[in-house]
Amino acid sequence: MCSHRRLWKFLLCALCLSAAPAWADGHGPAFGYSTTLLGVGDSSIETSFMWRSGVAMFSPVVSYGWRENLQISISSPFNLNQNEHPVGRFTATMPGTPEVEGLLAWRFLHRSTGVASRNEATLYFGGSASTQLLPRADGPALQREPAIYAAAAAGHISRKYYVWAGAGYQHNGRWSSGDQDHQSDSMLSSLVFGWRPPFLDMDYPKPDLRFFWETTGDWIGHASRGPIVGTGPFCDPHSGCTTPPPPTSTGVTVLPNSGGTAVYTGPSFLCTYRSMAFQTGVQYGVWDHRNGVQPPERFRVVVGFSYFFLGGRRK
Amino acid sequence: MSFSWRSALRGFTLAGMLLAVEPAHAEYLRIQLRVYGLDCELCARGVSASVERLNGVKSVEVSLKKGILDITLTPGNTFKMSDLRKRIRENGFRSMEATVTALGKFDGSKFEVLGSGESFEVSNPESKGPPPVEFTFEIH
Repeated sequence: MCSHRRLWKFLLCALCLSAAPAWADGHGPAFGYSTTLLGVGDSSIETSFMWRSGVAMFSPVVSYGWRENLQISISSPFNLNQNEHPVGRFTATMPGTPEVEGLLAWRFLHRSTGVASRNEATLYFGGSASTQLLPRADGPALQREPAIYAAAAAGHISRKYYVWAGAGYQHNGRWSSGDQDHQSDSMLSSLVFGWRPPFLDMDYPKPDLRFFWETTGDWIGHASRGPIVGTGPFCDPHSGCTTPPPPTSTGVTVLPNSGGTAVYTGPSFLCTYRSMAFQTGVQYGVWDHRNGVQPPERFRVVVGFSYFFLGGRRK
Repeated sequence: MSFSWRSALRGFTLAGMLLAVEPAHAEYLRIQLRVYGLDCELCARGVSASVERLNGVKSVEVSLKKGILDITLTPGNTFKMSDLRKRIRENGFRSMEATVTALGKFDGSKFEVLGSGESFEVSNPESKGPPPVEFTFEIH
């Protein structure tokens, strides 16, 4: 019995310490929305590595607990390799494309209902600007754009179970009226169940392990392109030559091979110990309907590592 | 620059007055505080680190399962219970009842913690000799 316990401890510690630099949401789920915020004066550095449809993304996120129920974050995900992939938002606290995003989280409802139990609701407001041009099979890359983002999440937290539901919308704009390209707007919703098995319910300061089952649904609108010189076929090594669809009366072309709807689901795992958190998760597509011809996407993977600077301000 | 006996005397008097004034010390000795909402190791670490930064705190032990913060304080601290409750709130949790051991004096049904300016209604006031007395009481 004792040796089993030691083996468990060893395996858990090894898992925590072998955390490869990567990411997620610090101390919540990997893909979906949650409500947890940092304490006043606390800060964190989170790094994450995401893989989907042949494209690897890396995202550093810096967060700071500004007020009792306010947190600010800055993230800057970027593609490690350039490849065409569906453009949209796939995780709650990080853009799905290379952007610099500032995010304000406001926990407007906060009720501690018992020992280790509370109900919370948080609103997110963000603004971002794309940093990298993304290749497209049906023509030149679309212009870089600014975007705004708003989301809401609510949930119940306890020592044994976690439940969070949330939804958010990202709208892309334009830097100038002359730029008529438009990246897809996107909406993401999520439902997360978390569970801490009784045999892992260890008291502080032991490693803390939790499992989540995360289901996300994303809707992504059509992208459109402003007038371009030349209307001949555009040739791409992956999809061959395609003829651009006819433009509208304003010269803007709605891109048929953009946007879609999808539902992904899968498990994730979070381990926190001392001031560190390691997280990994995978989601499989249970329903994926992309408009037109787009690269297939069957699963998404996130691996993350976070470090927290705790203790707040000195009194 | 000329030496003035009057200035020297004034300086000595001022220095003497400053040395004679001792800062008011609070005498909280131990606090066991129940906290609602603490669900994870990282939450406990955040609260613990935050409370440890308060003046006069010697050590903090956290029990997640019981939701208890056990705080030991150094003698002659400048700790205030209201600062502790504020810290807990700033970390996103709710402070509840507490068992407090402190030095102080009784004022009717109230116990005034020495030097803190904080006094609490107690259900079992009992004076054992001249103040300050060490007393353990519950705050709800």
